[in-house]
Amino acid sequence: MNMKHLFTNILGTFVFENNQLKDQILFKDLKDYLDKEKFEQKLTKKYKKVFEPKDKDLEFILAFFKDKKYFKQFYQKNLLLTKQQIKQSVQDDNLIIQTISSIKELDRLANVLIKRLREWSELYLPEFSKSIQDQEKFIELIQKKNRKQILKELKLTEETTMGKALTKTDIDEILALAKQAASTYQLRRKQEIYLEKIMKKFCPNILELCGSTIGAKLIEAAGSLKRLATFPSSTVQLLGAEKALFRHIKTGAKSPKHGYIKEHLLVQNAKEKGKAARALADKISLAARLDFFKGEFKAKQMRKELEKKIKQ
Amino acid sequence: MNINPSKIFDVYQDRNRLYTINLTPKQSFFQERLIKKGSKEFREWDPRRSKLAAAILKGCHNIFIRKNDIVLYLGASHGYTPSFVSDIIGENGYIFALDLAPRTTRDLVFLCEKRKNIIPIMADANQPNLYLDKVCQADIIYQDVAQRNQAEIFLKNINLFLKPGGYALLAVKARSIDIKKKPKVIFNEVRTFLEKHTKVIDFKTLEPYQKDHAFIIIKNV
Repeated sequence: MNMKHLFTNILGTFVFENNQLKDQILFKDLKDYLDKEKFEQKLTKKYKKVFEPKDKDLEFILAFFKDKKYFKQFYQKNLLLTKQQIKQSVQDDNLIIQTISSIKELDRLANVLIKRLREWSELYLPEFSKSIQDQEKFIELIQKKNRKQILKELKLTEETTMGKALTKTDIDEILALAKQAASTYQLRRKQEIYLEKIMKKFCPNILELCGSTIGAKLIEAAGSLKRLATFPSSTVQLLGAEKALFRHIKTGAKSPKHGYIKEHLLVQNAKEKGKAARALADKISLAARLDFFKGEFKAKQMRKELEKKIKQ
Repeated sequence: MNINPSKIFDVYQDRNRLYTINLTPKQSFFQERLIKKGSKEFREWDPRRSKLAAAILKGCHNIFIRKNDIVLYLGASHGYTPSFVSDIIGENGYIFALDLAPRTTRDLVFLCEKRKNIIPIMADANQPNLYLDKVCQADIIYQDVAQRNQAEIFLKNINLFLKPGGYALLAVKARSIDIKKKPKVIFNEVRTFLEKHTKVIDFKTLEPYQKDHAFIIIKNV
């Protein structure tokens, strides 16, 4: 007796007997393909004993579909399916990754802007720029006060200052740059608040354990929360220290102790940084697993344990 | 400008530059140069971006991709090399272009909408059973995935999808197999591994166009 084979692909579901097409149900659209079991059952009922094709039979079936008449269908259905898959792949961790990348870039941008602003403003107020270290405060004050007020506050007169009295049009140009820098800082702060908000919803354990910036950086380095959850804690410990790690493997230099997690206060304040980093990475990988499988909120307890362990 | 046919079908050459005839005239997808000559429009093929182009320039006598072929392309990424393969096989050939990452597949879909002979599939090349129902048997398999077990993935796909007597092309990235070993050692390991199961007919390293890469062509027996 000949074996009957059932084979379902994106075009439809087919029954082959003795290397010949015996019966078929073609799918009208993607919906049919997505609940293909319904159609498979129909054919299984009709032919009773059908098998899954293997080896030689599978090779024959795959060759069977290498036919001009099928390719247009292959193209249309796969294109639609791929679009659907891409749509479904967008999840909250994509938002976290984009936000943290944006924050990093805004940091760089704000630094560039304020460097130029300081250089430029030192032409007419050199002493003022030197007297204020804090960047955001500097931007705020230079916009608020005019030259005379600032000179008075610094107890300087036109004779003792190094700055030249520029015209109003020249100063306006400088203040326009200050405005841009201020808005960059504002945007950054806004995004940080947003990041914390989505992380609270999506990965509360990681957020509680290591804060929004470090947590988001770890997710970014891993690629997604799913990958972070599958990593062993030794990998989590070294995320962000790839350069040093590969230098260690290649040339035998000292191995790095920590990656992004060295920014964490617990690690920074610890006496033995390597030990603290190890303990923290251990808890983070546990927290990532809790978050990925939508487990309970345990981070507070973990944090307490961690603090105890590091103090010892 | 003196563009002549090279020793490979449908690929043209002007000294160290490679060209294919553009299937979608006046459109370039990757800011590559378009050169109009008579009724034909040529698209420049950069060997620094494409391992297949580098292999041709390094002296592969034949890449076995012909007009009207069905190609299974694993690791399509943004679709740079697939777009030139699609030029070579023409309107009646088809490419099943596989990639796993959603970000790169998004770019690939835009390319596929313009070029009707590229079929995008988002799947893991390491698990052929999951995309078995989206492809058919292929004349050519091209693989360029940066995975540790590239050679095994290659063999798995050959066994399932390559027609008897078909050819398969593999770009080996030594850096993603083992960064500790020397690339030469890794290339030899991959080669001997493949020789156990199939027939290796060509082997080229891709210096200076691609760093630590090799190109292997095998025939299905």
